[in-house]
Amino acid sequence: MIPKVFRTIFLVDLFQGLWVTFRNQDPKRIYTEQYPAERPKVGERYRGAPRLNINPDNGETLCISCNLCALACPENLIVVTSQRNEQTKRKELTTFIYDTSRCMFCGLCEDACPVDALELTQDFELASYTREGAIWDRQMLEEGPKPTQYKC
Amino acid sequence: MADEQKPEGSPAPPPAGGEAASQAEKPVAAAKPAVPKPAAAAHAAPPKPPAVMVTTPWDSDITQFLKERFAGDITEFSTYLGQSFLVAKPDAVIPILDTLKLELDFDYLVDVTAVDYPKRPERFDLVYILYSFARNERIRVKTMIADGYTPPTAVTVHLAANWLEREVFDMFGIQFAGHPDMRRILLPEEWQGYPLRKEYGILQQDDAWVRENMGIESGQ
Amino acid sequence: MPEATFLDATELVINMGPQHPSTHGVLRVILKLDGEKVNGTECVIGYLHRGVEKIGENRTYQQFAPYVDRMDYVAAVSNGLGYCLAVEKLLNIEAPPRAQAVRVILTELNRIASHLLWLGTHALDIGAITPVFYCLREREEVLKIFENYCGARLTTHAFRIGGLQYETYDGFEEEVKKFCDWFIPKVDEYEELLTNNRIWVGRLKGVGVLSASECKEYGVTGPVLRAAGVAWDLRKAQPYSGYEQYEFDIPTAENGDTYDRYSVRMEEMRQSTRILRQAVDRIPSGPIMGKVPKVVKPPVGEAYVSIEAPKGELGYFIVSDNSTQPYRLRVRPPSFVNLQALDCMVRGGLVADVVAIIGTLDIVLGEVDR
Repeated sequence: MIPKVFRTIFLVDLFQGLWVTFRNQDPKRIYTEQYPAERPKVGERYRGAPRLNINPDNGETLCISCNLCALACPENLIVVTSQRNEQTKRKELTTFIYDTSRCMFCGLCEDACPVDALELTQDFELASYTREGAIWDRQMLEEGPKPTQYKC
Repeated sequence: MADEQKPEGSPAPPPAGGEAASQAEKPVAAAKPAVPKPAAAAHAAPPKPPAVMVTTPWDSDITQFLKERFAGDITEFSTYLGQSFLVAKPDAVIPILDTLKLELDFDYLVDVTAVDYPKRPERFDLVYILYSFARNERIRVKTMIADGYTPPTAVTVHLAANWLEREVFDMFGIQFAGHPDMRRILLPEEWQGYPLRKEYGILQQDDAWVRENMGIESGQ
Repeated sequence: MPEATFLDATELVINMGPQHPSTHGVLRVILKLDGEKVNGTECVIGYLHRGVEKIGENRTYQQFAPYVDRMDYVAAVSNGLGYCLAVEKLLNIEAPPRAQAVRVILTELNRIASHLLWLGTHALDIGAITPVFYCLREREEVLKIFENYCGARLTTHAFRIGGLQYETYDGFEEEVKKFCDWFIPKVDEYEELLTNNRIWVGRLKGVGVLSASECKEYGVTGPVLRAAGVAWDLRKAQPYSGYEQYEFDIPTAENGDTYDRYSVRMEEMRQSTRILRQAVDRIPSGPIMGKVPKVVKPPVGEAYVSIEAPKGELGYFIVSDNSTQPYRLRVRPPSFVNLQALDCMVRGGLVADVVAIIGTLDIVLGEVDR
């Protein structure tokens, strides 16, 4: 093997490290994603922005106002109000307030919902210009956040 | 061995132990799928779960040794769910820790912590968790102290107790006599109040400190 | 004769403040220096104290699980595992074998991710800027697996009391196997970059020596204890969650200095990959959730359960009073106890060594302060 004196004078160990770095300059090994031109593809189960799902057949909300999501939330940031419909004898959802500024996206509300009405989708662009803009009401929850699209 | 008390709760599967009573055998067998109750009890209300910890007595060479050495000072040797602990008088704790370390190989102090039971006269439960590398065993030494009592510090026995006791002081207000540096560790020095006591509210903060040092009206 | 000013004093007290690129978080270290030599230190912590233990007394057992991830935010899955094991112990139930196998896989992936971040940031503190990019690239792959499994990369909330919430996704086993095969050459690459590098060796050898007896005195656990020569790992000493089925070695070293801790953690990454390969080949089939009541109300009692987190022994001491919320929830943080030994390790060294030693203790301030 190369004697120690030789290795010390000719900086063999440092060149060994430099060779690792130069190997990684290969364009095939580039790992950076150019956001916002390339949006990352997040997993299917990603816990992002909440959505209130709508029944595709008749356009009504799937939520049955059972309040289980509000009870499950550790931060108590969901407020569900409903009124009773006299004809069908069921509760109908009136307002649904969800405070995304305090939400930690833990998914306990999504797990608790028995009818899959509340779902955490793959949207992660939730920024808003005001604090109050982060408190979502029913309309915002049903349509989802609409971030500005940037074109490069 | 376990419960002298009422029939073992179906709400809680009974701790492992050979129960001789045949009445107990059915819940033990049926507790596995957690759907309990022989038909007779189904008519009665389910038994209330016990109000105190259901422990089994603990007996081993450690307890024999300690019983000889500290006969009057240790009031209880028990096991709960396979974890053994002993309850001692407050001023005997440091000699017990010393003996455990030097003669019984419990050389690693895992944790020092406290629990607050405000309704008891001795409101704090001071807990020392120890582990022995040689025996691969973990035990707890518990003692009950009242508010205002200053227990002796364990720093003389285990150096690890230094910051752990500072944290107990910070959160509960229990001062340790002889500690080299008894002051708050996690909260700022001038903070008033001891957060982990039960009367300290969850949203409460030392408003005076917040107003003075952070320049805002309130931390909420 | 000019009067004596503070410049004449031999001891200088300098503050390595809470905002510092090398203190791994908001850690304030007050250094007493004699020139460049450190005479003593004092750590001031608490800048990230969020009162997690108080929060624990006001949330139900299931609601508290997301808070637990935020303590050691670098390796969140271990925190979740410790908490779920502690509550399961109080309830006297056990997760089914399939849940245990998947828990082991995620925990070992999480250990690799934690050590990768440690290596990257530690090397960055010492001055080697290259490893941090590569380590974070590898960490991306682990976080992608976490994201595909439970939906979040860092604050995973992966486990539930009694088992798992999510079934493994299609392609889970293949992705983990692919990661293992892809990862081992990368560890070799890091070794190529660092292990024989004269700068690395010069900065780390002989620095921050903590002998085995001192480790036991200070209650230090984890790779720091193993580098001092004590072959003790909670996964072997008191196995939990099915670890007894897997074969792996406990890496140790003799001197207990910073270089040894580096080699112990590199070897731990390889051993974790070994466990991963074994676990992924034999995930049993079956249910993923044990029989847990909807409303978790453990009987009156207390239990202390600890696991081998990447940083040391992470323990949960839960006292329950038969209500839906814990009566007292104490977290025994490994970083808090390990940080106590900082004072002992830096005496006599230089200021640059303080940075190296804080890095080698692998502390996460979220866990120190809770």
